[in-house]
Amino acid sequence: MKANKQNIWIGGKDLNNDPQLEKDLQMEFPMDNSELAEKALEKDGNRRDFLKLMGFSLGAATMAAGCDIPVKRAMPYVTKPDEIVPGVATYYASAITQGGDFCPVIVKTREGRPIKIEGNPNSSMTGGGTSARAQASVLSLYDVNRYRKPHLMLDGKMTASSWADLDRVVKGAVAKAKVRVVTNSVLSPSDRMAMEQFAAGAGGKVITYDPVSSSAILEANEQVFGTRAIPAYRFDKADVIVSFNADFLGTWISPTEYTHQFAKGRKPEQRKMSRLVQVESHMSLTGSNADNRILVKPSEQGAAIAALANAIVGGINGPALNAKATKAITKVASQLRKAAGKSLVVSASNNVAEQILVNAINNTLGNYGNTLSFNAASMARQGNERDLEVLISEIKSGLVDTVIFNNCNPLYDYAKSTELAEALSGVSTIVGMSYAPNETSAACNVIAPVNHVLESWGDAEAKKGEVSIIQPTIAPLFDTRQVGESLAAWSGGSAATLGAYESLKNVYKAAYTPASGFSSFESYWDAIMHGGGMSTNSTTSSSNFSADMGSLARLVSKPASTDLEISFFEPVSIGNGQYTDNPWLMEMPDPVTRTSWGNYLAVPVGFDGVRKMIGMNDLEDGDLVKLTVGGKEMIVPVIQQFGQMPGTVALALGYGRENSGPCASGVGVNVNDCLTTENGLTQLYNTNVSVSNSIGKEDHFSCVQYHHAYGLKGTEKDTGERINADEAILGMAYGKAGYQGSLTERSVMYTTNLNDLDADIAKLKEKREFAQHLNDQTLYPYEEYKADRYEQGHHWGMHVDLNACTGCGACTVACMSENNVPVVGKKEVSRHHEMTWLRIDRYFYGDIENPNTVYQPLMCQHCDSAPCENVCPVNATNHSAEGLNQMTYNRCIGTRYCANNCPFKVRRFNWYDYTTADLFPANQVKLNGEDVPFGADNLTRMVLNPDVTVRARGVIEKCSFCVQRIQEGKLTAKSEGRRLNSSDISTACQSACPTGAITFGDQNDKGGELSKKLKSDLNYVALEEINVRSSITYTMKVNNRDESMDA
Amino acid sequence: MICNALRTNILYTFLLLAFALTSSAQVSVDAGKTIFSNVCASCHAKDMKTAATGPALAGYADAWGEYPREELYSWIRNSQALIAAGHPRATQLWNDYKPTVMTNNLGLTDEDIESVLAYVDCKIVNGPECTVVGPPVPGPGETAIKKSNSWMYWLIFGLLAGLALFLSRVINNMGRIAAAKEGVPYTGKTLAQTLTSKSMITFGIFALVILGGYTTVTRAMNLGRQQAYQPEQPIEFSHETHAGLHKIDCQYCHDGARRSKHAVIPATNTCMNCHAAIKVGSEHGTAELTKIYASAGYDPSTNKYIENYDDMSQEDIKKIFTKWIGDTYMAEEGLAELDNEGKRVVEKQWKGLVSSLTNDQKKKIQGPIEWIRVHNLPDHVYFSHAQHVTVGKLECQQCHGPVEEMDIVEQHAPLSMGWCINCHKETEVQFKDNEYYQSYMKYHEELASGKKDKVTVEDIGGLECQKCHY
Repeated sequence: MKANKQNIWIGGKDLNNDPQLEKDLQMEFPMDNSELAEKALEKDGNRRDFLKLMGFSLGAATMAAGCDIPVKRAMPYVTKPDEIVPGVATYYASAITQGGDFCPVIVKTREGRPIKIEGNPNSSMTGGGTSARAQASVLSLYDVNRYRKPHLMLDGKMTASSWADLDRVVKGAVAKAKVRVVTNSVLSPSDRMAMEQFAAGAGGKVITYDPVSSSAILEANEQVFGTRAIPAYRFDKADVIVSFNADFLGTWISPTEYTHQFAKGRKPEQRKMSRLVQVESHMSLTGSNADNRILVKPSEQGAAIAALANAIVGGINGPALNAKATKAITKVASQLRKAAGKSLVVSASNNVAEQILVNAINNTLGNYGNTLSFNAASMARQGNERDLEVLISEIKSGLVDTVIFNNCNPLYDYAKSTELAEALSGVSTIVGMSYAPNETSAACNVIAPVNHVLESWGDAEAKKGEVSIIQPTIAPLFDTRQVGESLAAWSGGSAATLGAYESLKNVYKAAYTPASGFSSFESYWDAIMHGGGMSTNSTTSSSNFSADMGSLARLVSKPASTDLEISFFEPVSIGNGQYTDNPWLMEMPDPVTRTSWGNYLAVPVGFDGVRKMIGMNDLEDGDLVKLTVGGKEMIVPVIQQFGQMPGTVALALGYGRENSGPCASGVGVNVNDCLTTENGLTQLYNTNVSVSNSIGKEDHFSCVQYHHAYGLKGTEKDTGERINADEAILGMAYGKAGYQGSLTERSVMYTTNLNDLDADIAKLKEKREFAQHLNDQTLYPYEEYKADRYEQGHHWGMHVDLNACTGCGACTVACMSENNVPVVGKKEVSRHHEMTWLRIDRYFYGDIENPNTVYQPLMCQHCDSAPCENVCPVNATNHSAEGLNQMTYNRCIGTRYCANNCPFKVRRFNWYDYTTADLFPANQVKLNGEDVPFGADNLTRMVLNPDVTVRARGVIEKCSFCVQRIQEGKLTAKSEGRRLNSSDISTACQSACPTGAITFGDQNDKGGELSKKLKSDLNYVALEEINVRSSITYTMKVNNRDESMDA
Repeated sequence: MICNALRTNILYTFLLLAFALTSSAQVSVDAGKTIFSNVCASCHAKDMKTAATGPALAGYADAWGEYPREELYSWIRNSQALIAAGHPRATQLWNDYKPTVMTNNLGLTDEDIESVLAYVDCKIVNGPECTVVGPPVPGPGETAIKKSNSWMYWLIFGLLAGLALFLSRVINNMGRIAAAKEGVPYTGKTLAQTLTSKSMITFGIFALVILGGYTTVTRAMNLGRQQAYQPEQPIEFSHETHAGLHKIDCQYCHDGARRSKHAVIPATNTCMNCHAAIKVGSEHGTAELTKIYASAGYDPSTNKYIENYDDMSQEDIKKIFTKWIGDTYMAEEGLAELDNEGKRVVEKQWKGLVSSLTNDQKKKIQGPIEWIRVHNLPDHVYFSHAQHVTVGKLECQQCHGPVEEMDIVEQHAPLSMGWCINCHKETEVQFKDNEYYQSYMKYHEELASGKKDKVTVEDIGGLECQKCHY
């Protein structure tokens, strides 16, 4: 069904005009009645208890008043390190790596303690952008669950041991020369070298695999170009991008780099926009950012690639594809041909023939050397899961005696983990170089715990010639050792005594040539350490394209004939389980489904023609179903997903962990054993699947899709008229007719197509003028106030470019990290209690069956005429002369009037003592049944930003525009006796963003970055017509959808 | 008989009234002392004879004697105005003390100022013995405003009590007259009857509730405040010796003050900069300085840092430092061998050292010295020394008092929010020289046109919540 393109919705309930939703939205904090009943039972309070409590409180207060103030001590250093000034942050350039994931960063430390990750703006890959995973890595450093000591198996029990004992045991095992080292992709050239030398010395080999495999690309490139590498893609240079199920903005290979590039090609202000066509069944983050989506079933991917190859290259007679997709592919092919040399086709397929076809398409289009190249090829994926199969058979035939796992988890994330586990039972020594307990370490009899990357020396070569140096920002917290040191110790020789730093330095000393423009190696070393790395022009030799095209068509995967197919995808937040131990990432909602704490089965929704959305099997959000994949039965909750292809469902990888940290174990279901393999390569779909009807409701349905929504539209029951959902009350109070302003469509979101841009800019202008007209009717002379209050000094404001925002969520985690925002856990999320100061609202618009998506980062709008401020009985929230909406926690008495009166729903209330600011354990919540509540443990608390107050129970909090950073920036300028520059202050969300979508600054600084952005004629202010004078400006979302492709 | 009683009663009543009327505001040394310690003492020395941040007050009579008293008053209330007016004495003082600006005291009445001057005179004549009988010296935490006003409340209380008594006598007399007229014998209420009457009990309860509430609120506000807090430190470090006598700049040791939010307690190696050479103290000899050496691992006998000091046992450490203490003692006394007194001294100093450098949590002598924090702000207050020292160019003494006169440091200011706010209201921003403030065009214009004579911290948002709380 084609709908008006101004028709925007957040989900089915919104389109349905769901009465419960409307009721919920009228309340700031909807109450679940069953919850209240449960509480009443739990507490069993009565008058006597009340009196007792009152007596206790009085007594306690008296006691407290009588007590002496505790003596506080201050411990200075004995010898103060030069670089540390207590109270001033120190920054170190480094890089975050986890397997093949990579982000060049600057680590902020306070008093020697890393507390925040910032992107490294020197990086040519990310331009200073980060990902949610990189932002959250600092919390993993303080994971209470991590290994603190080496462990050895003694009498059938893992027992804490010493490195000396452990080294003796491992050396003895290595001496038998039947060693295999299993690892994920290793970005560090020095580690890889050490690993290979060690394996060679121990008569074994290194087996590399990736949690989400890209083996087929590597193999295809090896076959076709003679180089086993992933090319360097240039999404910024492509005018037409076709992606076959590759979520390159979310998870595929190097998403932060690609996101940074992609946004460069999308500048509607300059009338310059690439077109992204995504071919997929489940709406991925990339799919949600695509202009056109072509829906194909997971098993049809091969057919779709073959169809495109046939249209571009010719002579490929692939399997049949659904009719609609075939038509669309033909259109895509013609556009690709027009953009030859300026187009890019990528695929996440793990079928070698399909990847060769993709190569052929790019080759025929002349894209090699333009939009992709083997110079500076990506090192991010090196794995080949076929080697694991070989390992299993080698173990079975007795060729292996020792297996060393390098911080990887194949017993969870490998499709044939059960077979591997069985085989491992015949191996005598299994060494886990693990960070924290997981499924694989549970099978080990030697645990050699590794450092966190923030505790390590190292290097990373994410792209050929782009080397980052990793420097530690804190001494190892526990008795752990980094991988290189352990390998050196086990292989013996001189390296064993050298230590990580010297070993690393030696590698670079050996490679150093005096010609590089530095006076000595030391100055060169200091420079690359300070800047975070170096880049050299690297050329990789690759032969010309050569492939036997004729045979390929037979080798692509065949579409299945079953009615239902399931695809599995790597979630943006937690990967395939590598990040599940991190509460920040567990709580971060999936950008598209907006669910957190668990995997939800995405089911397609249909439209009944009378404004009712029906999920597959009449399923609704939060229903539990029995899902059968292959032979495995699981009970999973359901989420209705727009853009999900009918006849397909989708489920995220990475959940259902066992033997893992407190926040990961038992959350969601593990589907890695539902993956299929084809020629030994893992396929992320299964065609043998069935979904039951609803068998119940999930207890704590933790989807934030309908939480804190604002400006919704619904249909008036009597007239069938579309009005704003929040007007039901107004209608009653005033009678709809004649109530000025109430029928005005709320300006929440403006969208347009590139072709209609000029017309819609004119319309937008008209709308804004009308809003201005409404606002001019006010009794209060706002312009006078503005002139009086804000004409001098600073007037802070922000600009959010919705055309740059991809919804990746880096900003939300950066905000949590910067501002000590608490994690609340699944149950609390289900009760609308999530505490995020910055949420990313996701709206669909356009075609209901295959909609476009827009993401709107929403934080406190710092309204200059703020409704929240007027209703606070204690003046705890008020306005500053610089335009900040200030929140003073110590004044707040928790009436929550402000939150109720906030039109943007951005204020959050501390229902519990989430960050354990007080003494009473009853006020603290547990995320997932852990022993000590998350946030109460002193180790976890090391991550807190000392410049931001930890909020107690019973107070409201919200975005402060990172006022601590404003104060710091102002102080720097004042101390240096100069004017404030745009670069002095950047908010946490701004500095985290890989696309530069967020610009913070001083509206009075007419030459500043913000003022430049505020000139765009795509700009609008959310809810401008209600005259709250918000300080945040958004841009109209422009897509480049080709309507003809939908036909 | 009746007339007699009536007469005495009326006389009594008038006496009461007269007393009540005469006890109005007046100059007193007592009030002067209170005002002095609240308002003046942060800059002017208590002995009145030495110059501190501000001049010694003892000289006021000579210096201002030739000018009308009113000019002295206006100098004390608003010194900058008088300077601007070109008053000769004011100009002279300004030349001596600029750029230190005397805080304005617009709230002081003539009587207040006279009281202060009376107190100054009293101090000059009697020295420290100038103690006055009156309400006890206010306890820690009470703000300046409350202290200076309390006498007024007593006065009002006295007036009202007098009035009440007067009225009750009037009623009593009326009753007497009425009874006499009607010829009935008048039976006045006995004291016991009056005191147990319903109205008295009601009044009593009411007064108790008010008083109790008031006390609770003020006490609650003072919770956590510790003005005049003067804990004993692990090392008897004297600011008087270092900052006063030797005039070492505050920021030589507290080097965070100019660049960080913390002023920073110096690391032990900062002490070593000087005390590697000065090994015996003027007051405590080896008793205190040896503690630094024991913390840092420096052997003063050999002038070398001790190798592997961290791993040494307490016995080994004891040998090194008792030897040093003993040797110094012998050298001072000219002895060849340690006598009994010397042994006692060594043992005493060693014990002192151990108790200073170790505690329940810290068993080892080696490592940092655990000083006691004197100035504590609550966690929800963000305070930056750099802002005040580098940007605001404030003298340390403005908040910390005359530290250079303190043998043991005490908390000088109340560090209450009211105290902060008061200062932000009055303090002028260093507006002209700092290019940062160029963005305040309007204020610059107003300053140039004379519409504004100064820009205070309040004017640029210094009273807003999120300047300190976030």
